[in-house]
Amino acid sequence: MMLREDRSPRRYEAALKVRGAARFTAEIPVASMLHAALVLSPLPSGRVGRIDAGEALALPGIVRVLTHAEMPRIDRPGVLIPLQGPDVHHAGQPVALVAATTPAAARRGAASVEVAYERRPAILNLADGEPFAPKTAGRTATDSRRGDPETALRQAEVAIGRRYTTATNNHHPMEPQCVTAQWDGERLTVLTTTQAVFAHRLAIAECFGLRPEDVRIVSHYLGGGFGAKGGAWFPHLVMAIAAARVLGRPLRLELTREQMFTLTGRRQETVQDLKLGATKDGRLTAIVHESLAPTSMFGEYADALATVTRVLHACPNVATRQRLARVNAPQPNPARAPGEGPGSFALESALDELAYELDLDPLELRLRNIAAHDQHVDLPWSSNGLRECYRAGAASFGWARRPMRPGSLREGHQAIGIGMAAACYPAYRMASEAAVGIGADGRVKVRCGTQDMGSGTYTVLAQLAAEALGMSYAEVDVELGDSLLPEGPYSGGSMATASFTPAVETAARDLRGRLLALASADAASPLAGIAPERMSIADGMIRSGNRSEPVSELVARRAPQGLEARAGAAPEARPDFSAFGFGAVFAEVRVDSDLGEVRVSRLTAAYAAGRILNPLLARSQFVGGLIWGVGMALHEATVMDPHLGRVVGTSLADYLIPVHADMPAFDIHMVEEDEPRLGSGGVKGIGMLGTVGTAAAIANAVFHATGRRVRDLPIRVEHLLRPD
Amino acid sequence: MHAFDYARATEPSQALDLARRPDAAFIAGGTDLLQLWKAGIARPELMIDISRLALDIVKPRDDGIAIGALARLSDVADHPIVQARWPLIAEALNAGASAQVRNAATIGGNLLQRTRCAYFRSGDMPCNKRAPGSGCPAIGGENRSHAIFGGSPHCVATHASDLAVALAALDASVRVAGPAGSRLVGIGDFYLLPGDTPQRETVLGQGQLICAVDVPATAGRAAYVKVRDRASFEFAVVSVAADLVIDDGIVARARLAAGGVGTRPWRLTEAEAALIGERADAAAFDKAAAQASNGAEPLAHNAFKVELLRRTVRRALQVAGGKA
Amino acid sequence: MSKTHVTTTINGEPTEYLCEASQSMLDVLRDELDLTGTKEGCGSGDCGACSIIVDDRLVCACLMLGAEAEGRRVLTIEGMSHGDKLHPLQQKFIEMAALQCGVCTPGMLIAAKALLDRNPNPSETEVRFGLAGNLCRCTGYDKIVRAVLDVAAEQRETTR
Repeated sequence: MMLREDRSPRRYEAALKVRGAARFTAEIPVASMLHAALVLSPLPSGRVGRIDAGEALALPGIVRVLTHAEMPRIDRPGVLIPLQGPDVHHAGQPVALVAATTPAAARRGAASVEVAYERRPAILNLADGEPFAPKTAGRTATDSRRGDPETALRQAEVAIGRRYTTATNNHHPMEPQCVTAQWDGERLTVLTTTQAVFAHRLAIAECFGLRPEDVRIVSHYLGGGFGAKGGAWFPHLVMAIAAARVLGRPLRLELTREQMFTLTGRRQETVQDLKLGATKDGRLTAIVHESLAPTSMFGEYADALATVTRVLHACPNVATRQRLARVNAPQPNPARAPGEGPGSFALESALDELAYELDLDPLELRLRNIAAHDQHVDLPWSSNGLRECYRAGAASFGWARRPMRPGSLREGHQAIGIGMAAACYPAYRMASEAAVGIGADGRVKVRCGTQDMGSGTYTVLAQLAAEALGMSYAEVDVELGDSLLPEGPYSGGSMATASFTPAVETAARDLRGRLLALASADAASPLAGIAPERMSIADGMIRSGNRSEPVSELVARRAPQGLEARAGAAPEARPDFSAFGFGAVFAEVRVDSDLGEVRVSRLTAAYAAGRILNPLLARSQFVGGLIWGVGMALHEATVMDPHLGRVVGTSLADYLIPVHADMPAFDIHMVEEDEPRLGSGGVKGIGMLGTVGTAAAIANAVFHATGRRVRDLPIRVEHLLRPD
Repeated sequence: MHAFDYARATEPSQALDLARRPDAAFIAGGTDLLQLWKAGIARPELMIDISRLALDIVKPRDDGIAIGALARLSDVADHPIVQARWPLIAEALNAGASAQVRNAATIGGNLLQRTRCAYFRSGDMPCNKRAPGSGCPAIGGENRSHAIFGGSPHCVATHASDLAVALAALDASVRVAGPAGSRLVGIGDFYLLPGDTPQRETVLGQGQLICAVDVPATAGRAAYVKVRDRASFEFAVVSVAADLVIDDGIVARARLAAGGVGTRPWRLTEAEAALIGERADAAAFDKAAAQASNGAEPLAHNAFKVELLRRTVRRALQVAGGKA
Repeated sequence: MSKTHVTTTINGEPTEYLCEASQSMLDVLRDELDLTGTKEGCGSGDCGACSIIVDDRLVCACLMLGAEAEGRRVLTIEGMSHGDKLHPLQQKFIEMAALQCGVCTPGMLIAAKALLDRNPNPSETEVRFGLAGNLCRCTGYDKIVRAVLDVAAEQRETTR
């Protein structure tokens, strides 16, 4: 079934945003607020000695300089809340906070604070760290094993083993992180850029010994997040809140773009060894996927690099193993398609290499290895649309015309290449509440304490309520981004929509039932005495046969204060199926065969990701995910100096994200799936999928164009200039 | 974010007068200076706004063109006579930065922009150019973007201007005004090699001002080829400006300059010499390109530029040579 | 440091303000004039979120001093619509959902307007290179380019 973008409700908050009228966190003034600027350690490892704030304090506008000596102690293991002690664990770590009456004064003050350090030995490179097994890899088990992959590899008719590496990436949402913290006795209001108003409320309450209900977190408009405004932002949020308490005045801390390289997390670099075994006719017999990635000196985080490896393709013998090593660098954290992005680069590149070993079309190789069930957990799929994605994507892209031999396609100086990869991402869910109400004016209100990072949460909340109630979309108002609202999910792991959808739909259906019962029982209603199940609501009218009444009139008469229904939904504890979204991505690249420049000219992708609520916005999310894959493949790398432990290049002129001119022609296909067994109302989540497999599809296309297999991201001209 | 005073100059003489203060800086487009100021690298006490001086005139003459130092990059790139007779300049300008920056930045400011070396730009990592004597971490650290020509043990930072590469190929001169009057400096002499004073990048003294760039007429066929990691809005990995005069199929004059490879815009004299008197064909272009990287001193991460430069030269020659 | 008095025109309104010499135009707009539609994404001219039009010239407000606005005409996103009447680009961005988080959007719209004002008939390549100074991390640019091309086509249609 074709999903119609033109019939999708338009973005709820777009009219505000195109006028520049949506107020983001840094644009909400708070009376008598001070501004913070940070003094950062230039050393990756050391101990703060004497801090001389004399010169800074003499500058106009400076109110106070706070160091670890003045800050209250906060006990929070596993995260590095700055200004809690003298130890420095990474370059860029805050060692003092300057509070001033203006942002400029604060920055001038910060530049004038003199800090003495005792330098300590540092581990600056992944190879120098001591590998250890993390407790988990993202939300998954660190290691996995099924069958006997070592024996299967030895006995495989065809086997390959390759090493792939991916670079450190930063999230760089366009809006820098910001917090304005305001204390009122033991009550706290925090305006901040957060992907998790409720998770942050709880954690902040714990840090400061407050009752959660005395903490209010507000985030009405969020200028992107991609993982950088969750746990990675939390320590600095806490620092600012603690500073506001010491200062006794509201305090705003707004990060600079430069600080977003070190204070808001990062996608960890990876070294991945992939071994594949197969029969001559292209059935996978063994996969071994071992990886190493850095974590900080104080925290432990491992991307789930092997998720895709464990489930995407059928294979009886699979072992995956992830190790971390500690380095004196900022704490890595999830970034869009956290492990699935870099992990799928390794797996899907290796599949392409295997296809060439076998002299088998790469799509055909994948078609021969479609997994009939989830072999990792040994459960049936809730659904698996991968085959249809392969078919739809390949047909639209014109894959069948692809010559197998690399270097076959040319146009002038350009070598043209075509490559593909498969993708999957788990359908996660968490508990959520929501309320749907209606006022005497007939306007519907949805209230849910989740956030809209720009993905379209406002829109789908309104749309879900409108559809379940029978009201028009234009009559719905949405409140989100506030911990005073019913508890909503955090925005991450592609799970927000799947989490709140059943809560909103249940609440809306409940409200609908109450409205119909009211009408039925109300002698003043034209619908009096009619059984509710014989009534319907459409376009704001309750109807039965030829009798009808506007919902607003009923509410005004019988519930002038309005009506609200509230509902909650939680995921099944132990589902008897495995739920993933699937996809196939096809890339065409043009490589200047003399100069090595790579440009992606076309990306066709097909996704089977459950129920698509709003095809117009879903398409945006898929395209947005794909461009992240383009960035990962060709542009993005956070470079660390191997001796200083500092980020080299801390601007968006140094850290390249794709621009308009890098955009390929996108061709997106959404395969609609019926998912009655998913408690999410059929929603699987879509934000991550576009970033899975894309880098591999591009690298595979580069191989097809040039015959050069690049196993290290990002692919740069120098990779393609080297003689063979 | 050092605080400064601001003064708007209405006459060049007034600007030069104000600039007698050693802690003054001229600001026009501001696109580089304000970045440097925000990073704490430039710390002027007085910003002298020269953007309204009448030094933005583009004046074609029979023997060349004088481009006012305060002409905006976009205005010069869009100038019909520049496009018709000095397309190399228009191509180089349009290959750089973004529409926003090209609209604001001036010709003089573009020539004076500081290096994009990330150690320099950091504001606080060691850097001999910014803090003489503090060392050069690029040499033993991250040096993909650094120079293979003209480096010293003190500095290997490249000059980032696309325009300067084109001007170097066109043998342009820079008209410099100071309290003692004005003088004309060939672009080849305008930029200094880092040597042991990498903080000095040009012959421009404190309080001196670029008023104009003089570009001689050329009958040459031109091409500007810029290699970069993303399709737009990025400094060159390697760029080459070529200006070829071909008579009867024979190369009568060849001028080649490269960006992204040198501590200043780099003329490729050996490659030029290899072309003179040769038939303008693929074989000659290949032969000349093979000379382009002679004398290169690559570092750990930029050795690829040795080959990339040759290939970029070959491409520039092919494009220029292919023009009617 | 003394403050500078600036007389200028912002979104058609004669405007006067006092600013510090070292205040950027972006800071003046956002902090002094409460025109927060112009966004700060980087502060160094590398993202285009603060794009404004000064005397018909698209620039980054973060790389301009507030004092430099003296005697100029400044257009910000707040001046792009007239009351409830949106500019066709704004309308098209809504219709096509050519925006997500909305931080790049005001600068993108201003840059797109500047582009169409100069070149009412741009090719797709011209749009893609012309808007390269405006970074977006959400949309993948696709709908933005289509929206700009669509508006250009519609405007040619109506002026025919």
